[in-house]
Amino acid sequence: MVGEELVGLTPEMIEASQAGMKAIGAAIAVGSTGLASAAAEMAIGSAAVGATAENKDVFGLVLLLTVIPETIVIFGLVVALLLIF
Amino acid sequence: MVKFSAGPVPYVYVCTRMRVRKSKLIPREDYLRLLNMSIPEITRFIEETQYKKEIDELASSFHGIDLLELALSWNLAKEYQSIQDITPGVLKRFTQSYLRKWDIQNILTIFRGKAQGMKTGKIREILVPGGELDKVFLDRLLKEDSLEKIVEALRGQSIYPVIAAGITTAIEEESFAKIENALYKQFYENLLSEATSGFKGGRQFLEYILLDIDMINIRNMFRLRADKLPEDASTMVIPGGRFSIQDFQDLVSIEDEKSFIDALKSKVTLKPLLVLLDAMTGERSLREIEIDLIKVQLAQMESFSKMKPFSIHPILTYLEKKKYEIFNLRAIARGKEVNLPTDRIRGYLVM
Repeated sequence: MVGEELVGLTPEMIEASQAGMKAIGAAIAVGSTGLASAAAEMAIGSAAVGATAENKDVFGLVLLLTVIPETIVIFGLVVALLLIF
Repeated sequence: MVKFSAGPVPYVYVCTRMRVRKSKLIPREDYLRLLNMSIPEITRFIEETQYKKEIDELASSFHGIDLLELALSWNLAKEYQSIQDITPGVLKRFTQSYLRKWDIQNILTIFRGKAQGMKTGKIREILVPGGELDKVFLDRLLKEDSLEKIVEALRGQSIYPVIAAGITTAIEEESFAKIENALYKQFYENLLSEATSGFKGGRQFLEYILLDIDMINIRNMFRLRADKLPEDASTMVIPGGRFSIQDFQDLVSIEDEKSFIDALKSKVTLKPLLVLLDAMTGERSLREIEIDLIKVQLAQMESFSKMKPFSIHPILTYLEKKKYEIFNLRAIARGKEVNLPTDRIRGYLVM
């Protein structure tokens, strides 16, 4: 039982465990969204380089398109910050 | 050592480049403008597009139609080489296999040119060294003074056995049509075996090959019917597609035009082709039918490349469209050279 498992834990230990869990949650939030952004940017980036190689005028536009998936990792970062602070 | 796979990245890169290049091809409105221009005006016009480098390079040594023809051939060959340089892995392999069609075309151009006693320079103008046989090799062939020596120089090439087997008859009959058929049959046989040999993306390549074979067979049916030479039907068919040799012969032997179209409609499933066959009423010249068939094929290839945006399709679609751009410009230039009426030239354009 959960209650029985907690027997023997001091409040400091429980607090430390909660802080650890938050840190793990924050790490998962930033890590997974970072990977998702990378996957999205991989395809967009290679298309952007291809388009720029053929027509240099589109550089500004494709740069903007390439960084759009950065929003995913920003959401992750926000969640992580909310968890920690 | 850990190996990292680039995943779809090289496919995305090269397919995007092809799409951008395709968007730079000459649009229909410009062809209509070109139809009203003289050869120097056409040269100036294309100098402002993708052909600037070639025109600038050749302008000091050539002029008029020669300059235009050579610049177009050089540009096409350069484009083919550049695409082979940027395509990765298996896409490169498929692209190279597809481009071997130009080897056949170049060799036949040399044979026909030499047989008709054309000047070497004039033959060189229309060669497009886009396949396995490069410019230097083709130049070597052009320097040979007899057809037998040209065939000997081809020894070691994959097309040599077919050519060696048919050249004596071709010289006797003064026609290279049989060699041409045999070479194309070998070419498509090789493409089919490559597409089905288990390479990733082979299925998409196979889709294109089957479409191409079917369209060539349909075109040949119309040609045979127009020439009224059904006895040669079995040698003209390219096996591997939707039509078996028997189907082909049966279709070609139907005498009534309407019954032929109906029988053909029952054999095909391609929607744009069915629409085209439905619209085929009344007298249509063979040239008009051929141009319409090319348009159907290009439309279908375009649709393939939209369905599979990161496959061999966008590359092949661009290559085909680029080829027809060159054909169109050549048709306009040659038409203008011999003072053909504008409407007549327009009939030869794929736009």
